[in-house]
Amino acid sequence: MDNVYSVYKCRVLRTYDLTDEEKLFLFRFEDSVIAEKWGFIPGQFVQLTLPGVGEVPISICSSPMRKGFFELCIKTAGRVTQKIHEMKPGDIAGVRGPYGNGFPVQKFEEKDLLLIGCGIGMAPLRSVFMYAVDNRWKFGNITVINSARTGNKLLFRKELEAMRDMAEAENIRIIQTVTRDPDWPGWVGRAQEHIRHANTNPKNSYVCVCGPPQVYHEIFEKLIEGGYNPRNIYVTLERRMKCGVGKCGHCIAGSSTFLKYICIDGPVFGYYDIISVSGLI
Amino acid sequence: MRYLKIEKDRTYEFLEKLKKYGKLYAPVKISDKFYLRKEIEDVKEIAFDYQRTLLPLKKYFLPTCEKMFDIDIEKNEYRENLEKIEPFVIFGAHACEIVGLRILDGVYLNVYPDIYYARRRKAGIIIGLSCLPDEYCFCNLRRTDFVDIGFDLFFHELPDGYLIRVGSQRGHEIVDENIELFKSVEQKDIDAFREFEERRQKSFKYQGSFDNIRYILELTANDRLWDEESEKCLGCGNCTMTCPTCRCYDVQDIPRINLKSGERIRFWDSCQFRSHGLVAGGHNFRETKKDRFFNRYVCKNSYFYPLGTSYCVGCGNCTYFCPANIDFQKNLDKIRSNYEVIHG
Repeated sequence: MDNVYSVYKCRVLRTYDLTDEEKLFLFRFEDSVIAEKWGFIPGQFVQLTLPGVGEVPISICSSPMRKGFFELCIKTAGRVTQKIHEMKPGDIAGVRGPYGNGFPVQKFEEKDLLLIGCGIGMAPLRSVFMYAVDNRWKFGNITVINSARTGNKLLFRKELEAMRDMAEAENIRIIQTVTRDPDWPGWVGRAQEHIRHANTNPKNSYVCVCGPPQVYHEIFEKLIEGGYNPRNIYVTLERRMKCGVGKCGHCIAGSSTFLKYICIDGPVFGYYDIISVSGLI
Repeated sequence: MRYLKIEKDRTYEFLEKLKKYGKLYAPVKISDKFYLRKEIEDVKEIAFDYQRTLLPLKKYFLPTCEKMFDIDIEKNEYRENLEKIEPFVIFGAHACEIVGLRILDGVYLNVYPDIYYARRRKAGIIIGLSCLPDEYCFCNLRRTDFVDIGFDLFFHELPDGYLIRVGSQRGHEIVDENIELFKSVEQKDIDAFREFEERRQKSFKYQGSFDNIRYILELTANDRLWDEESEKCLGCGNCTMTCPTCRCYDVQDIPRINLKSGERIRFWDSCQFRSHGLVAGGHNFRETKKDRFFNRYVCKNSYFYPLGTSYCVGCGNCTYFCPANIDFQKNLDKIRSNYEVIHG
């Protein structure tokens, strides 16, 4: 029997400062066989280990189409992530996974796609976005709403800015919006206020949302008001996961009629899961 | 199912023989009030009429603290801790505990089997023992008062010995290897068994059904009872540590002082601790004591699909060992009766 808790060695190839708190890491498996074999679905996460320090669950933020390596966007939020931020190209970490269900991207094909990321929530959605860009012909119009408090807190800001011209030609609308930055020249306001500016047809769209728990209700309200089908709304959630495989119990949510493990039943949930399982958001 | 009988004076002989299958663990009385399951040297010290032990059966399969990996920090390597697990025998598991273990099986041996748990589960021989309920027991409401699968042998008390049910191939082998100790079952034994079971059913303090308690619980999430009861709670986690089906654990990497090596350990955790629902950045999904308190009630009463039972097996441990005298069953009963008052 394989040990599900065993980690595979990964080397950091590149690091990139996204904001003052978030860093992007490019990893490659040391074992070339694993590197070839390894794949994931956008929305899945890995357990990243720093030997002797600990393990943290992190969403994968690169495209699954790009084989052999993967990217993780990591925010300094605790002891382990602080240590991870000290890693440099060439350093080794441990990875196991991918875990979780991921977004049903196959279902999204031939439909418009609206991605709403608030703060660090943009990280897992970047994986969906890049997958859609890599398979551009399979999708209809795409809108990304990337929101943060200030301009320099916007994740992947430069990357998204850089593709703006190409994006317009490809029917991809990028809305980067901030709430508390008087110097910001672009869109202003919370993510939900820009749903109406999306180029997606509400009747024919899938929506992916990720952000802090407080924002979901308002985003749902605006989406449904705007004519988006609740059945086509997906969210991805965050919890503290020690095992990632439905054992340690830290990510259990819900009540007596529906008990869900975020790690194996999620982290991606549909709108109707959210409203029938209390405590998910 | 195969049934056999063993007479009282031969039972100790059999227990002695069990030692050849591995270390023998059984409940022993350690003080006026408490029993503890521990390794047995002298089979005469085994307690047959115990109600509950300080720590539940899960401790043999999911140890309180367990080393998962040795870490070589310099080489960035994790070596799994797979020392040989010697076979062992557990005598005296009650029906509810065996169902509890089956629930843990459902969690730990599901799509991603846990190798540490699986190895221990394979090494353990389980011998059940019948019991009479005390005021804390409500396994009848949970339908876990009788168990058909999950044990190798099950001992049912008779006036002059035990009626034995054989529950697995290993059970058959153990019986066959010691067949001289057993007799076949006669009509008077069957009558005595039936009489015992009837007496047992009548001695439960609570009668009725708990089948819809999970819906009622959900509908009464705002009941004042939760404020009042959670106010008493000390947040010590005793209820979860003594619960046969609570399975939460935490993991930590502990470096040695030379910072070159270390170990990754896991240890029991509790949803009653504030740290349990904490995520990166300080947000807590179960911020208040009331949230955590109510969470245990909904978790324990939720439906466990593989067995068709709830996660709570009605053993009464959480109530018995609660230092704040919070009565789990009584609270559920209050919720149940409130609902019946409201809905007729």
